[in-house]
Amino acid sequence: MLLLTPEDIQAILLSLKVALTATILSLPLGFATAWLMVFRSFRGKMLLEVLVNLPLTLPPVVIGYFLLLMLGRNGWAGKFLDAWGIQIVFTWKAAVIASAAVGFPLLVRSIRLGMESIDRQLIQASRSLGARWFDTLLTVVLPLSIRGILAGSSLMFARSLGEFGATIIVAGNIPGLTQTIPLAIYDYASSPSSTMMALSLCIVAVAISVLVLFLHEMLGRNLEKKESL
Amino acid sequence: MRLQIDVVKTQGNFTLQAAASVEGRRTGIFGQSGCGKSTLVHLISGLLQPDRGEIVLDDLTLFSSVKKISLPPEQRRIAIVFQQAMLFPHLGVKANLLYGYKRCNTANRRIDPQAIIDVLQLEPLMKRGVNRLSGGERQRVALGRAVLSNPRLLLMDEPLSALDDALRFQIIPYLKSVSAEFGIPYLFISHSVLEMQLMTDRILVMKEGKITEETTPDQLARNRMAGSQTGYINLLTLKNPVMESGLYRYPWGTGELLISNGQPGESSLFELTSRDIILFKQHPEAISARNLLECTVRELFRSDGRVGVVLAVHNETLVAEIVRSAAEELDITEGSTLFAAIKASSFRRLN
Amino acid sequence: MSQSIRRSTILLLLILLAAAPAMAGEIRLSVAASLKEVINELTAKYEKAHPGTVFVNNYGASGALAGQIEHGAPADLFISANIKWMDHLKEKKLVQEKSIGNFARNTLVFTGSTGIKVTGMNDLARLDKIGIGSPKSVPAGEYAQTAIKNAGLEQQLQGKLVIAKDVRECLMYAELGEVDGSFVYRTDALQGKKTKLLFTVPQKLYPEVVYPVALTVKGATNRDAEGFFNYLKGREAKSVLKKYGFIL
Repeated sequence: MLLLTPEDIQAILLSLKVALTATILSLPLGFATAWLMVFRSFRGKMLLEVLVNLPLTLPPVVIGYFLLLMLGRNGWAGKFLDAWGIQIVFTWKAAVIASAAVGFPLLVRSIRLGMESIDRQLIQASRSLGARWFDTLLTVVLPLSIRGILAGSSLMFARSLGEFGATIIVAGNIPGLTQTIPLAIYDYASSPSSTMMALSLCIVAVAISVLVLFLHEMLGRNLEKKESL
Repeated sequence: MRLQIDVVKTQGNFTLQAAASVEGRRTGIFGQSGCGKSTLVHLISGLLQPDRGEIVLDDLTLFSSVKKISLPPEQRRIAIVFQQAMLFPHLGVKANLLYGYKRCNTANRRIDPQAIIDVLQLEPLMKRGVNRLSGGERQRVALGRAVLSNPRLLLMDEPLSALDDALRFQIIPYLKSVSAEFGIPYLFISHSVLEMQLMTDRILVMKEGKITEETTPDQLARNRMAGSQTGYINLLTLKNPVMESGLYRYPWGTGELLISNGQPGESSLFELTSRDIILFKQHPEAISARNLLECTVRELFRSDGRVGVVLAVHNETLVAEIVRSAAEELDITEGSTLFAAIKASSFRRLN
Repeated sequence: MSQSIRRSTILLLLILLAAAPAMAGEIRLSVAASLKEVINELTAKYEKAHPGTVFVNNYGASGALAGQIEHGAPADLFISANIKWMDHLKEKKLVQEKSIGNFARNTLVFTGSTGIKVTGMNDLARLDKIGIGSPKSVPAGEYAQTAIKNAGLEQQLQGKLVIAKDVRECLMYAELGEVDGSFVYRTDALQGKKTKLLFTVPQKLYPEVVYPVALTVKGATNRDAEGFFNYLKGREAKSVLKKYGFIL
């Protein structure tokens, strides 16, 4: 039997909201970054590659700490935001930023793979038929990258659902506001008498991940069918 | 159409240094793989920038390192037909065809889409997705797409190399008729002498990144005769045969030819290799070959260890190929009269 | 070649053995976070008076510490910030029942660095963020939650409570200004530099804060641990507690 308190339901809904927002917000930048890395050569490209992949190798708490330094009340970005009355840290926005930072390399990686499989001659054909570079980007590159975009999005969404280290540092553990599923489970886990409650929440987390993966597979198959018509 | 090129481009170990001035509607670029043909195509179309030099098409400067001009590909109106068709897989046939058309200035749109669809017989394909088309169908759509962008110049980069023989000679008439009917000049790039003979009037020969000579298809075929697997290919367009005991009797010039593999009525294209023509000094009395033609030697040319004999017969011309010793033995000279024997089965029908 | 391999293996074994835990004279303590300064001072004094003793001090939320002991973490002494977690271990027979005694008492207060005027529980609704230990494992958090409930403020404070893993993290949030104020013990508030003690939580809103102390079953067999346990009942320990603001 699943025992879920109202706070657990809050945590689940918040997790979904944060993961979805983080993924949607990251898509334009992720797409642009992948495009730059695959189709453009410029000085400092290697630096960009390293920066984009950095969150993959850094411990999430380190990422969270850097975000806190930047966006906190005394951080260089935080000071500006504070002057405008915008607070990021310890709000659900911070949770979104933490998830976005951690998931971004996964998104870019998948989109890159999709883009790399596009035959360059298709792009040459498009240009020679009169399309400017952004026309080609929208009418050829984007449609042919859809699989990569979907794969990256679902991967990033799933990763965001499990984001803990960066989130707890920069967004804190605030039930109803920033307490996502992993934070709620952590809370339960620190208390020896609440293991059953933690288990219920864990099962829900697994169920959501499985659902996302299924959806991802089905979408991939649907696209394959369309392409072969 | 007048294209002037004088460019240098270095990529890794390979340097391309091409200079030529090309006039005319049907020009070919001939060379083996690795000679730089594709690089030249990319430079002309604007997909690659030369290190330095100049490219001028008619009165428009496409590239000039001195004047610091470099038109991007989408402004050059030079369409490319690729070896692999390169149709957009996410768009249907119709959307593919109209891709360039939509992006063409209304002022420049001289070609009617329906006309192209008719000429290339694309009507039955219109509602289909591009992924289930056959190779020949794909190339026809690719050709239609390129032409519908109303280009100043059509670059055909080995468009037939990926097709099998039967398909190749099916597509060639389309290529020729589209260009002729709509007045679009083209540069036809290939490593096949036969394709050059069928598609071009003038040829630029490329070797190791340089344009080494400017020649005609006939001259190219002659030069390559000895080294080729198939000698010099004689091309004959014949029609309206009469059937006679299993063979087709085709009118040819002032005479006729007997051919095994003909077809009734419509115009057929035949190839006859120079090596299948046997020459006799005197009329052989009884011979199995069904074609025995009396001819005059118009010209002789050398090609490595072989001799090409240009024969005038029935107001037409045929090129035969013999070894040097045979030419000496039979004492063949210009003006000599010879008998040419050709088997009915030696003629290969191409379409 | 094989000579040097043999030598390296012996060296490796020695290093591994040298790193083996539980050396003689070692006492391991699991202590509620709010007692950190007190116990640090007491163990330092004891080490000086009894050379050869080495202390390993583990501070954290009492619930978390109890969980660790339950899962086999080595500890000789356990000091909890509420009776609940001591009882929890008593039921699991992980502490020596007869050794359970009371070490100290404390009061719950609200401290912060906010400019907003806060003089009592009802003013809390005006604040944006409030630090509180996790009620599931931090006694101070549990006390605070009880107080909030009894004051009828649960609804109003929804979404304002920033959960910390122990009472010291609560204080840190308040010190850094990440929250407007936090529920901590009076003894913690006294440690604060940038924060001011804003008000004392009325005792009627929450149960009394007591710190039970006990020897674990393992610790009961440790002579040195027993010695320290008795020291904690003595006069010196009481004076250190007083110094830091604890009630006896």
